[in-house]
Amino acid sequence: MASGKGVDVRTAGGVALRKPSTFQQYKTLLRKDLEQEFRTKEMLTSMGIYALLVLIVYGAALGQTAQALDVLQVAGGLLWALIVFTSLLGLNRSFGHEKEQGCLEGILLVPLDRSVVFLAKATSNLLFLLAVEVISVPLFYFFFLTSVSPSESFGLIVAPLFVGTVGMAGIGTLLSTITVNTRGKDVMLAVLFVPLIFPLLYACASATTAVVVGSDGYLDVFFQSLVLAGGYDVIMLLLGWVLYDFVISA
Amino acid sequence: MSETKRRAAKLPEAGQWPDRIAPWMLLAGAVLTTIGFLMAFFYAGPVNGAAVDGVELIGGQMVSSKLLLSQKIFYFHMPVAIVSFASLAFAGYYAIRFLMTKEQRFDTCSKIGMEIALLFVVCTMVTGEMWTRFEWGVWWTWEPRLTTYLILMLVVIAYFVLRSAIDEPERRATYAAVISVIALVDVPICYMVTRLIPSSIHPVVLREGGMSADMGMTVAVVMAGMCMVGFGLYRLRFRQVRLAQRVEAMKEQLED
Repeated sequence: MASGKGVDVRTAGGVALRKPSTFQQYKTLLRKDLEQEFRTKEMLTSMGIYALLVLIVYGAALGQTAQALDVLQVAGGLLWALIVFTSLLGLNRSFGHEKEQGCLEGILLVPLDRSVVFLAKATSNLLFLLAVEVISVPLFYFFFLTSVSPSESFGLIVAPLFVGTVGMAGIGTLLSTITVNTRGKDVMLAVLFVPLIFPLLYACASATTAVVVGSDGYLDVFFQSLVLAGGYDVIMLLLGWVLYDFVISA
Repeated sequence: MSETKRRAAKLPEAGQWPDRIAPWMLLAGAVLTTIGFLMAFFYAGPVNGAAVDGVELIGGQMVSSKLLLSQKIFYFHMPVAIVSFASLAFAGYYAIRFLMTKEQRFDTCSKIGMEIALLFVVCTMVTGEMWTRFEWGVWWTWEPRLTTYLILMLVVIAYFVLRSAIDEPERRATYAAVISVIALVDVPICYMVTRLIPSSIHPVVLREGGMSADMGMTVAVVMAGMCMVGFGLYRLRFRQVRLAQRVEAMKEQLED
């Protein structure tokens, strides 16, 4: 059923209906999120500006020590701190407007598998986060790494960025669905998100630092960290998929 | 009707048989842990703490190879840590039961399990920090076990912050159960990740395995005591919460 155009259904009254396939439902939900973003540009601008501001704070923080300190060693970790804070901002927003405009209730009225809502929302969050990273990572490089020349393996940074962002979008979607219904939701999301994301963050920061510094045997560390981060992604996405039905129906 | 009655009879409720033994268990646990405390100092022999390689500065003084008294913390640290795991697993079990049945009673059980877990997790952290200070010479290091425990503690605290931020009981129960299931999966991953990723900064801590008979005996006594304390606290707290819930329900009935 997920393969094509859906199935034809004939009701008792003789009306021919076309029941959309799961994949079509997914595409429709995803398109809704993307269209909304293209029209308002609300999330991308706020996340982009926030990322830039974090970079400026880094500038002040590292300004005094940049000469003496090996920036390469901390660059990976700083980059991930930037991504975590930026994604917190974006994830908070992602369900905010659904709630305010009553969109979520509309979606829940449609007879569809709730995990499709999860996958669609996680995908749109993933796309927004990746879009912000496309801007903020070069900026990070421009501000902090041009003077210290990272190793040639710097290009491999794409892999941990992708794996880490997938996991953050997945678990973040689940958690932001929970926190949108709570008091003080902004803080609540951070309180839940940061400890639960910690293993992924640790693995991704390790992989990123390995390729930025590029010391001997960095590939071993890189692949091991990447495999662990990937494992976290798989487990957490499956768990999110299973648990989402409970969360969104509550 | 009889079906619902039968189901209600199987649910944990205040006044069932464990309530009768709970105070005695708590008392016995207190006695056993006190005995264990004395045994740790008078019965179990002194043991070399973490291997001190050469000479190190510990607690402001130079130490070569020393019979560290701080090793005594181990007799409390390990049982407390194990009881904290047990109560977390217990809370997770009831969280899953809740998601399966949507029965509020299981949510109460899960929440109280978490409360007991928080108590024991904090005790583990405090004893662990004291031990780290004197054995490794630092208050804190990002070592796998410490890191995992810190994350675990933060997740348990986040669980209660989340609970306090939601008013509707059904929604609160569901969200809390979901978070405890995620935490149950997340914490082992956290341990694995921090352990498996090699890092040049962390010192590799080698400890010779195995305990002598007197050490094992002391640990066993404290362990039994701590398990009893955990169980007694859980049951007494459960009774208190359930009675309060029943009083609330009665008040509502009277108002109608």
